[in-house]
Amino acid sequence: MVNFIARRLLSGLITIWFIATATFFAMHAVPGDPLTQEKAMSPAVRAQLEARYGLDKPLIEQYQLFMSNMLRGDFGISFTQENRSVNDIIREHFPISATLGIAAVLIALVGGISAGSAAAYCKNRWPDRVVMIAVIAAISVPGFVIAGLAQLVIVALNNAAETTLLPVAGWGSVSQIWVPALVLGLGTMAYLSRIMRASMLEVLSADFNIAAKAKGVNGWRLFFHHQLRNAVLPVVTELGPTIAAITTGGFVVELIFAIPGLGRYFVQAVQQLDYTVIMGTTVFYGAFLVLVVVLVDISYGLIDPRIRLHRGRS
Amino acid sequence: MTISVFRFAPKTWGSADDLEMVAPIALPSMASPTVILSATVVVFLLLFVSVGPLLWQQSPSQQWLSQISDGPSPAYSVRVISDNGAWRPSALSDMPAGLKVHAANTEYVRLHWPVLEGVTRYRIYRGDAHKPGLGLAIADTSDNYFQDRLQLSRELYRYTIADADTGLLLLAREIRPEAAISAFEAQLQGLIPVTNNTSQWVELPAHPLGTDALGRDMLARLMAGGRTSLFVGVVAPLLYISFGCIFGAIAGLMGGWVDQLAMRFVDFVVALPFLLFMILFRVAFGIGPGENGIMPLILAMLMLSWPGSARLIRGQVLALRSQPFVEASRIAGVGTSRMILRHMLPNVLPMILVAFSFAIPQAIFTEAFLSFIGMGVSPPTTSWGALCNDGIKTLLSHPRQLLLPALFISLSVLAFNILGDALRDATDRRSGVVRA
Amino acid sequence: MSLLDVNALTVSIGPVQAVRDVSLTLEPGECRALVGESGCGKSVTAMSLLGLMPSNAKISAEHWLFAGRDMSQLNERDWRQVRGNQIAMIFQNPMTALDPTQTIGAQIAEPLRIHKGLSRRDAKMRAIALLERLAIANPAQRAEQYPFEFSGGMLQRAMIAMAVVCEPQLLIADEPTTALDVTVQAEVLCLLQEMRESSGTAMLFITHDLGVVAEIADSVSVMYAGQTVESGSLHGVFKTEAHPYTQALKRAVPSLENPRQLEAIKGSPPDLRRPPAGCGFAARCSQRMAICEEQPPQMACGDNHLARCWLWHKDHPLRWRQADALISGTPVWRNKE
Repeated sequence: MVNFIARRLLSGLITIWFIATATFFAMHAVPGDPLTQEKAMSPAVRAQLEARYGLDKPLIEQYQLFMSNMLRGDFGISFTQENRSVNDIIREHFPISATLGIAAVLIALVGGISAGSAAAYCKNRWPDRVVMIAVIAAISVPGFVIAGLAQLVIVALNNAAETTLLPVAGWGSVSQIWVPALVLGLGTMAYLSRIMRASMLEVLSADFNIAAKAKGVNGWRLFFHHQLRNAVLPVVTELGPTIAAITTGGFVVELIFAIPGLGRYFVQAVQQLDYTVIMGTTVFYGAFLVLVVVLVDISYGLIDPRIRLHRGRS
Repeated sequence: MTISVFRFAPKTWGSADDLEMVAPIALPSMASPTVILSATVVVFLLLFVSVGPLLWQQSPSQQWLSQISDGPSPAYSVRVISDNGAWRPSALSDMPAGLKVHAANTEYVRLHWPVLEGVTRYRIYRGDAHKPGLGLAIADTSDNYFQDRLQLSRELYRYTIADADTGLLLLAREIRPEAAISAFEAQLQGLIPVTNNTSQWVELPAHPLGTDALGRDMLARLMAGGRTSLFVGVVAPLLYISFGCIFGAIAGLMGGWVDQLAMRFVDFVVALPFLLFMILFRVAFGIGPGENGIMPLILAMLMLSWPGSARLIRGQVLALRSQPFVEASRIAGVGTSRMILRHMLPNVLPMILVAFSFAIPQAIFTEAFLSFIGMGVSPPTTSWGALCNDGIKTLLSHPRQLLLPALFISLSVLAFNILGDALRDATDRRSGVVRA
Repeated sequence: MSLLDVNALTVSIGPVQAVRDVSLTLEPGECRALVGESGCGKSVTAMSLLGLMPSNAKISAEHWLFAGRDMSQLNERDWRQVRGNQIAMIFQNPMTALDPTQTIGAQIAEPLRIHKGLSRRDAKMRAIALLERLAIANPAQRAEQYPFEFSGGMLQRAMIAMAVVCEPQLLIADEPTTALDVTVQAEVLCLLQEMRESSGTAMLFITHDLGVVAEIADSVSVMYAGQTVESGSLHGVFKTEAHPYTQALKRAVPSLENPRQLEAIKGSPPDLRRPPAGCGFAARCSQRMAICEEQPPQMACGDNHLARCWLWHKDHPLRWRQADALISGTPVWRNKE
């Protein structure tokens, strides 16, 4: 097991290096640089600024500098927001994105697993139909449209109640978390409930399920001890990509609901070609996702003994 | 419905040469009502973007300033009026007895009322006459007249004059502005030859789906946008699946260290955060002046989306290589290229088709997403995603402008997904393709 | 009084009349084999006896008594008390019938926790003790392992342990040896026999393997197309088979004495969505009479040996000669051939 985790972490580190390199060169391939975005600037000032940010050095040297700084955990200073370090920006805005993301993942997981199980239990009866239609709708409607619709509904509700039942946008209170989180998690929830339904159907017709019933196991005990534990495995496999999709998909929701998360800063930074912020956030997100995938892999082993023991031996 | 294209069962080496026509197999699920409906939707969408612009010849970028954010409307006549901007009642006109309307058309509403004792500032409210309440306070003035030029439409309004200091309501009147177009605008649109040609009636075009916030015809824009969206949705997957297939096939056929190296590379590309890198690459490929931004978008998708099909094909090739019928044909002395053509290709083609049909909705989604955050096509080129981006700004006042393009995105994604599902079920059931 | 007495059990699942008329009796401690080809309704019968049919199945019986209780009146709550406690089941394929995510020990202990209210620890101790009785080495350690770490034979032993842990009065074994290697089969059969003898459990042994039947059963019921067509003692049914189907079945089994004399039964079983009006076997029967295709035969013949065949009807002219033959052990038509 330790061996397995070590190997996963090592390949994770290589992946992060790859992400950093790809980001670095992709960004330097962009025509222009952050300084050309500024207003007309005398050559002297420009040279001074280039020297400050190291833009006057050859590309390879810049790359080496960036890499060594990154190893020390220093992503440099933002080009557009004077004197604000990238680390500060991440430290300030990532917790907001993370809170939103975690809430969305939880909603998607709990909702997807329960809806999928309910649909499988009521196969071809109306709860199943309702869930499947909702799933199809949620999969085919883009997230930003759902976000917009959610805002419309909130406004309509507030108008009907003639008070502010729910805030339309913003960040800070609990009620400002769960609506965006629901919107963010909805697509994933639909996807997961589809997987859950299929795997629960398989479990329901599996021999061990009938055998468990033949032992007299029933009700919630049957559900939690035998059915859920087996049926949830494919959902857990999807957890890594799911978290990736939710964290990176968060910035649309952040834009629409005016949430000051890291995603919004990323979009802004790309538009302004703020090298250091782009590099910092991309590498940070990449590292975060790699870590999540490793964690999900490990947790998969905890649920499925076959994988745990297999890995333990190898 | 019978489909003979999907006749690709693994063949034994003895029958390698009689791979010809086998009786087409009926695929019941391919003909289910939902599938037929989805196919109809797809055909409709394709016709909508190809034949549509021929039937509906309005330009998607022409702005009708007199019809901004109009609801769906037929063609109607409007009066051409001269619009000199500022207005005050002429000295000759008498002091009105009550709230007097000097003019009421969709360009301006001119109000005039008697000077009231003790009131220093008037506040003018405008509201929907069918709803209770005063509506919006649109202006404060110390004059006893006012000209409203604020996004008027042909609805029944209630104007209320109140004392700005005390809040006391003074006068009210319901007004329905008459359809009008300024002479300047009318000339700009080519409806009249010269600007002093006022007081005549001209015909404004119909907008079956209304206009957007800049007065452009929604139907024409949806057709133009759909062309971009569907183009990207089909071409990008076509490119990246082809690339992925070639990459995967080479890796699988070469085997050994080439395969190992290639697959490590695939792992890394998969690990890249997709949307972040879509944005990065999209910006990196840049848009020159006058370009529409479709190529950078497709290139970015190509660079990030190929690994899925590469893995799929490599897995298939590896699985097939160890299949008895392939080994048997190798022993029988069949050459590599023949083997690929005769055995590999027929067996992986259905999977590629399925992958392709699922990639289309995904590509439509990605394009919509990028255009929505302003990283997609650049104006004046538009797409359904870009239309959504325009629409979300007026969401609360004119939800139609977001919902219409959203409906088209959802319809196409849904239809392609259902077709993909049916295709997968059909190929799964009838081919003995080995799952990698 | 019989432990289990089912008369005219019928089960239909949607359009399929999977079980049309099954009658079974089991005395306490008796082992009855239920024999028949695949798809004849053996497993459906077994599942019905456990009340485990899906909700769209319709079950009815003339009478259905278990330990003096009318089972057709049981609700789901009562059934839970019966399953795994009074009636337990051993499944055909131990590889799929054990939950892959639970330890063997936990799965064996589960019925004890549910039915006997034992604590986790006590139940685990009992499970380990049982594994030891079933000749599994290192039972304490084995109990902590998962099904995928067990071999097929060991899994079936764990399955047996799971079934007998509550000492049920009736054990239903649904082809418990079919999925196993031949060498392991004998081992498992021995174990089953041992468990049965030591606890006095009655057993309904479902199989299509006549060799196994001879080894383990006291009495035999033969099923065909959803009906019991013949039932009697092991000796009675096997030495003097009365129903043409049983005869054909026996001729289809290879034996060392007559290696050449192997006959497949021609034709295929009837479609149970539209079962035939007369005898289910009529279409394949070599001794078919006109009446066979028109009216369904009833169980007939002697007191302890019944066959559902017109040949054994009291009005059939040959009946008495055949009955004599049954007693002497030489069926008439065998001589004719």
